[in-house]
Order: sequence, then structure tokens, then C-alpha cells
Amino acid sequence: MEAHHHAHAAFHLTGRLADEHLTAIEGHGLVPALFSGYRDLTELRYDYPLVLVEAPIEGRFVESLSGVMDEVLAHVAGGSNEDRIRMHVLRLESGVRALVATGATIMLSEAWETVAKELATIDDGIADSLAYARMFLAVDGMLVDCGQSTASQVLTHAWNVAYAGRAASFADTMARLTVGLVEILEADFENSAEARSAENLKASFGSGPMDQFDFDAMSRILTDARPPMTLPGSRRHRIEQLVEVLRSQQFYADPATGGAAPYSFVFHHCVDALAAFRDRLTAAVEVTKALAVGSLEVSGLYDEAKHDQLFASFGETGLDPSDLALFPDYLVLLNVADMTAEELEQLSQVLSSGLPFKVLVQTDDVIEPAAIGEGISALALASHRLTSMAMGLGDVYVLQTTSSHVLRVRDEVTGSLAHHGPALISVFSGTGAEAPGIPPYLVSSAALEARVFPQFVYDPSAGADWASRFSVADNPQAEADWPIHEFCYEDAQNQSVCEKVPFTLVDFVSFDRRYVGHFADVPVDAWSPALVNVDAIVGRSSRADVDQLPCLLMAADDGTLHKVIVDESVIREARRCRSMWSSIQELGGIHNSHADRLLAAAEAEWQANMQEQLAAMMPAAVVAVETTEIVDGRAEAEPSPAEADSAPESTRNPDEPYIETPRCSTCNECTQINGKMFAYNENQQAYIADLKAGTYAQLVEAAESCQVSVIHPGKPWDANEPGLEDLLKRAEVFI
Amino acid sequence: MGIAATECLLEMYDERRSLEDYQKGVPRWCTGCGDNAILAAVQRLLRDEGLRPEKTVFVSGIGCSSRFPHYLNTYGFHGIHGRALPVAEGVKMARPDLTVFVNTGDGDCLSIGAAHWIHAIRYNMNLTVFLHDNQIYGLTKMQASPTSPIGTKSNTTPRGSYLDALNPLTVTLGVSNVSFVAQAVDWIPESLYQIVRAAYEHKGLSFVRILQRCPEWLPKSLEPWMQDPDKIQLLHHENALRVSDQLAMVYKNHRKHDPLDMLDALDIASDLERIPVGILYQNKDVPCYEDTRHSDVLRSDDLVRHGLEHEFDKYAV
Repeated sequence: MEAHHHAHAAFHLTGRLADEHLTAIEGHGLVPALFSGYRDLTELRYDYPLVLVEAPIEGRFVESLSGVMDEVLAHVAGGSNEDRIRMHVLRLESGVRALVATGATIMLSEAWETVAKELATIDDGIADSLAYARMFLAVDGMLVDCGQSTASQVLTHAWNVAYAGRAASFADTMARLTVGLVEILEADFENSAEARSAENLKASFGSGPMDQFDFDAMSRILTDARPPMTLPGSRRHRIEQLVEVLRSQQFYADPATGGAAPYSFVFHHCVDALAAFRDRLTAAVEVTKALAVGSLEVSGLYDEAKHDQLFASFGETGLDPSDLALFPDYLVLLNVADMTAEELEQLSQVLSSGLPFKVLVQTDDVIEPAAIGEGISALALASHRLTSMAMGLGDVYVLQTTSSHVLRVRDEVTGSLAHHGPALISVFSGTGAEAPGIPPYLVSSAALEARVFPQFVYDPSAGADWASRFSVADNPQAEADWPIHEFCYEDAQNQSVCEKVPFTLVDFVSFDRRYVGHFADVPVDAWSPALVNVDAIVGRSSRADVDQLPCLLMAADDGTLHKVIVDESVIREARRCRSMWSSIQELGGIHNSHADRLLAAAEAEWQANMQEQLAAMMPAAVVAVETTEIVDGRAEAEPSPAEADSAPESTRNPDEPYIETPRCSTCNECTQINGKMFAYNENQQAYIADLKAGTYAQLVEAAESCQVSVIHPGKPWDANEPGLEDLLKRAEVFI
Repeated sequence: MGIAATECLLEMYDERRSLEDYQKGVPRWCTGCGDNAILAAVQRLLRDEGLRPEKTVFVSGIGCSSRFPHYLNTYGFHGIHGRALPVAEGVKMARPDLTVFVNTGDGDCLSIGAAHWIHAIRYNMNLTVFLHDNQIYGLTKMQASPTSPIGTKSNTTPRGSYLDALNPLTVTLGVSNVSFVAQAVDWIPESLYQIVRAAYEHKGLSFVRILQRCPEWLPKSLEPWMQDPDKIQLLHHENALRVSDQLAMVYKNHRKHDPLDMLDALDIASDLERIPVGILYQNKDVPCYEDTRHSDVLRSDDLVRHGLEHEFDKYAV
């Protein structure tokens, strides 16, 4: 056993097979043990194939075939033939899945008909079941399997849906504005002599006994009664230009007029997208300006004196993101494998522009040849670099996922397209792996599980901080270094054994032919307790000893279980992968070191305070009671400055004439008596504007006339006014 | 689809208008007429809300109060007797973007226009209706109106009227779909303004009965309530209006009333001793007729042409 261990340790350290106790794994068809249940995906119900839903409702632009079928089955539930129909629909689903797996490009409805026809040859009952279930198939769309073009197909479809929404909204706005603007011109025409000519009036009457009516007389009357106002020439010219700009725009197809062919917005190089944006900017400014001026015109708010100058320089500094949102976004589809240094530079320009470019960067192979030395490779470094750079810019919506999980990020894809700014969508397809017999769905799913290509979303519009913007929550077991799954098998004694098995980077590379040399199969008789799960070794900071060796559970085609030793170089990569995942976790608020430190400091401070308070509790309590009493007593004795300010104001001098203005009911009595002495304020309520503009007699008369008795005459200002004695007596009741 | 640039520009040029900008002509009403107070309160509302004159319409029927649109620098429609409400409904249906007010008197609304009044309440279109109730036909020089107190001597009732006055509040409260009923008096400007404003802010038909003096033909009719502030009952509630300190100094009779409590509203409206002032009933959940019938389809030339042809085809021989 000692000899076995030495041989295993030697392989682990050097990666060389020098012993008969170990064999190479190449050609044995080994796959990670956790894959053993997923050899034939067509037999399983899972996310794929996807249905790219036409005319989707509530943003559900993509559905899984299983999900669609479940909806159909929900409608047949409860019926007398439920079990039979369910069984037949599931057979159809399996048939459709198999059909799509052959590479067929087909709509769901067509696939249903094709498979249903095949199944109907087996049994008439199946045909009945499927014909009945077909009535409940509510959606249709292209079927897409997980493969090389999945991400671009799904994103292009989502973009098309968003485009259609914007096009409809734009067409509606444009139609309403155009109708409003044309109505202004038509209203002006109706006032013209031409519109009121006898010929025109006659034409407007259609058919009938036309000779019974004198259109010349009618024209004379209507022409004489024309309103004097006509549309100013400058306004007419402006409105005609607006209509022309709106009708000739090329950002969307015009369903009403056909018009010029609309621009294309899907590109395969950043440079083309940038050039197109630049070329169309002037047109975009013109259309935005036309929409803005048009809506002002239709509302009757356009004022040449104010607006002409402003609109003359409109758009010189570009357009606001919310204005750009009127137009389609620019979709750029890239593949990491084809990206040159120049393309990278342009991508960086695109993302830092703040403009609505939506960029898909697809990665087919995460194992990238390194620039330094043979045998050193990088895992998904290009996408990592791109997403880090994009998130650093602050206003870029960043989404990273794998093809296997595209359906699960449906809302995030919609969010990236709705974002008023650039978006980077990084997707790993899994098609570049050298793993014969393992479908891209499994490869891409494994990359996400193994933290090689983690899923995350950075949404700048979700809030101001990272906690609001960034999330890694949708990764499997996001709190852990690696997801742990239960794996059960039958041992040599035919007993069921279950154990917790991690899925790590080592599992991910184990089925790639380029890595087979880093693994060695251990014969069953050489299995020992020294062979431990990979995560136990990776969890150590560095190579400490070789008492324990990292080992992987793998399954062969024949269903036998193998233990495979991993060499040190792969473990190093796994450590690096875990470190990168830890950084991403921290950004996502999981095991955040800053937060942990602050929390520890706050806890320590709180505990120290509590200790102090406990120590001083008894004497402090006594002092507190006494202090409260003193403070309360003083508060009662002396009013606070604020209270002193709000004390009732001194009573008014009864000799001074005044009006209770807020109670005046605007009845005009006083202003009729003397319009200079009494006047109305800004609320049309009376006050004494100029006491000396009238006599005391008028003041008393106004007081007597006032129906709400709010005029108080006070004492006369002119002691020499005749009849004062009588007036003072009459005024007494109003003082 | 909002156009950000336009919104910014509108904010830049948000014009402030003064009360004078809404005034037009010199009112011909008698000195001391309550219509003056109502006009002042409404002009204040227009100014404070910054309503655009070209987007505001006052519709009236016939009578003293119906001269109201002449004194406002907005659009106006001086209609025919009793028909202010259907005209206003037509305006609102055709131009839902306009703010539509209705001024109608007790004779105009409650007599010849009674059928329109009942159905306008039931339709609950977004209109603000002011019932100028001076309890008499003033413009035609003193004939008894439906709200004239029993015993009112007038040209048509020289021995005094024989019938109890109609209570516009209880009638309105009894109509299906009623959504806002308030009462104000012209001689308490502060509460008049508060109620006018609340009525404007309510979405639905706001029916405001304003008791107003007629110094020419019924100068004594409301005097008992004007002379005794305790006979004015101010309604208040956290979901309606509050009584200011200034008002509370003069008017000490207050009643807390939930504007959703219909039974309490009917009880208040039936009180003939006191004049309740405030919001008697308000239900914001009653749908507006124009909203239930609204279609967002653009009326393009083609649509209109197709619609007409479709209709004409029905009569093709």
C-alpha cells in the first residue's frame, strides 16, 4: 500500500505516469460521476429546446418546451382522460426534443404536427389525445437547441421583440403628432378663400340635387365671414417641415406609407456599429427635434421668441439617453475567438460611450492558450477581463451566464435591453470544449457549476451602490466555494452508498481531452483513505504535504465508478478559480471582508459599551432620575423661546380703521363707495388702500353696507370733518 | 412615449399667470351679489393651479350666474336654459384634455335642467359643477325657484310660495354614481376657496352647491345664517377639509364627518336649521363615464372614412 501511495503522490506532483498502479484515463470515456445520470439529454425534460415566442406577453419572449407543454397539460388536468392525454403529450414532447436534437430548424407548431403525424401511425388514440391537447397550445415560435448559435438567436429574438415594442410606440406617437400637425394645416385651409370657393363647397356636398343649391351665394357668405386670422408663414413652414421629417425617418419601417427601407441595427463588428451610429446621429437629432417641436406645436405651446433659438442648437452636444431610447438599440454580436486587439479596443470605446449599444460576447472555449510558455493556460480570462472592465465603467449593464441558463436570465436579458445605455452580455456556449459525446448544454452548465464561468448581473439602474446593482445570487449554492451534490452508487458489496461530492474546476476539465494527461485512474485495489475529495485539497492555501491526495469520482460508459488522481497543476488552477469566485462573491455581498470587519468592530464596540453601562448602572440610575426632575421643573417655570414667540399678538388699536381682509366676500359694496380708499388685493379681497382718499363718512357707510361686517372704521383721521359726532355714534357697533 | 426634450423645455417655460390674466370685463352683477365672491374664488383657483386659459372651458346655462364665462379670460360657452350640463359633457367627451367647469343657477339646474342634472351625476364625467343657489330667479326679476323657501313672495307667487324648497344636496346624494357633493356659502371666502379647490381636484363630477346672497330680490333670506356664525356648521375630516385656526375663531360649530359616510352625509344635508359647509360626500373610486368609453385608437382620416363607409353601407340600396 505504501508503494501505491508513493506512486500516486509522484503522479500528483509531477503529472507523470511511471507505475502500473495507475493508468491513463484517455479512451475510457470517463465523465465526472455527477454526469452519470445525464448521458442522453433527449430522454430528459429540461430547459431545452427553447421556444422563441412570437408576440410574447409580459416579456416572456422565451420559454422552455417543457414549460409550454406543462401549460398545455394544466388545461387538460382534471378531465376523464387526463392520464392518457398526459402520457401522449409527453411522448410528443420527447419526439419534438429528439427532432430538434437532429439539428432541425423548425417552428413549434410544425414540429408538433410532424411528430403528431408519426405518433398517429402507432395508435388512433394518440391522434385523438394530441388533437385535443393541440387546442391548448397557446404559443408558437422557433425551437432552439443548446448550441453554437443559441445565445445570438435568443438575444436577437429578445432584441426583435424590444424593437417591435419601440416601433409600435414610435409609430403611435408619430401618427398622433402627424395627424395633429396636419389638422393645424387643414384648419387653416378651411379658413382660406380657396376652401370656401363655390367649386370646393360643391365638391364637399357629394351627390344629390346640386342644381337646387346656390353654391356661389354660399361661397360669398362664407368668404365674407372668414375669421381674420391665418396661420403665420413661419409656422406653416415649420409644421410642413416637421411632417416631412417625421414621414421620411428611417429608424423604423412606416407601416402606413411604406417609406424608405429602415436602417439595420444588427452588427458583427463594433466598428460598423459605431460608424452607423455616427452616420445616423444627425437624423436622430432631427427626428427627436421634430417630435419635441411637434408636440409643442400640437399643444399650442410653441413660442418662436422662446423656442427658435433653443431648437437651433438642439442636439449639438448629443442626445439625452431617454431621447435615444426612442430609437432602436444597436446590437453587436461578437465571439471571443474572432476578436482582434483592434476589435477589443473598439469594444472598449463602444462600452464607454454611454450609448445604447447592446453587445453579446460569446465564449465557446474557456481554455485559452496563454501567451507565456507552453502548458500554462488561462480559464475564461478574456470574458473576465471584459466584464471587469465594463463593470468598472459604472453605467454598463453587464450580464454573464452560460447557454444552459439562458432561460433563467430572461428577465435580466430584458433588463439589459431596456437599460438606457450600453450593455455587455457575456455567454459561454460550451461548444469549444474537446469533449466528444458530451452535449454543449452539459459543458456550459458544468462551467457555471464549477465557478469557471459564474453567472452574475450588474444593473446600474437598480440603485446607487454595489449591493443594489450586483448580484451573484442565481449561481448554484452561491454561498459556497463549490456546489456540493449528493452522489449515490452501489459498492462492491452491492450496498447503496451516498456521499457529498463537490463539483469543481477539476471536474470541469476532467472530461476535456486536452486535460486527460493531468488525470490518472487508480485501480480499485489501490483505493485508500488517502484519496480525498478535491475540494479538501484546493481549500488549503498551498501544497502542504502529500499524505492526502486529491481524487475525483468519475463514471465510465459501462457504469463503473473510478477514482482518478489529479496532478498539482490542475489543483493550482482550481485554487485560482476559487480565488476569482471569492472576489465575485465579495462584490455580491457574500463573505464580504469589509462588511465582516465593520460588523466585528461594531460588535466589539457594542459589547464594550454594554460592559461600561452595566458597571455604572446603579449610581447612574439615581442621577438620571434627579436630573430629569430638575429639567422638568425648569421647563414648567420658564417658557422656551419658541413658545414665547408664539404668544398671542397684542390686541389691535380700536382707534385704527381696518378690514378683516381674509373674510371679505368680494361683493363690491365698499369699492363702489370709494374705489381709491378701498381696493382689492391679489386674491380679490378688500383692504384699505388709502385712508385719506376718502372721508370718515364713507368709511362708516362702507362698514354699514358690508354684508359680512368686516370693515372697522376706527376713529376719524380728520378731526374737522363735519358731522363727526353722529358718525362716531354709527361707527360704535363696528369697533 | 415621452419626449424628454419637450418635458424639459416645458419646465423651463412654466409660465406664472396672475389673477388679472384670468379676468375679463367688469361683472354686471349687482353690488353685493354672491356671484362676485364665487368669481373671485374661481379666478384664484385658476391662478394657483396655473390652468392654461386655452385649455379651460366654462359652460353655463341661463340666469345671473350663467354670465360667469363672460368674466373669465378662458374659453366659455353661454348655453341655453337648463342645458349647461349636456353641453359640458359634449365638450368633455370630444376634448378630454380640457378642464371643464359648469356654472348653473338654482332655476337653470334644478327646474328646467333637472333631468340633465340627475343624469350628469349618474354619468360622473370629470366636470366641476357650481350650483349658484340664490333661491330666486334674479335675471328675470324675481320669480320663485325650486329652492325658494316656502312662503317666498314673488311675481309668480304673490301670496307666497306653497311648496317646501327642493333640497339639491339630498337629491344629488341619492343619485347612482354620485362621487362628490359639497356645500359652500359665498360669505366665507376661505372655505369657499377650499371647497372650490377640492372640487377641482376631485376626478369625477364635483357638485358644489354655493348658497349665495341676492341683495336685490331676496336680501333677507340668508341673513339669519350670516348674522349667527353658530348656525354655520363646518365639516372637517382628515380625508376631507380641515378647519383653519382663523376660521375656527369665528365659526365654532364644527362636525367631524367622513366623506365616505353616505348616511351621515344625508343626515347633515337634511338639517335645515344649520348650513353645513364642507364636503358631504366624496368617493374617488367611482369611474368616470369618459374613461369607461375612452378609446385610444387614433382618429386618422382613414379610420374616419372607413367608419363612415361602414355605416353608410347599412343603408345602401
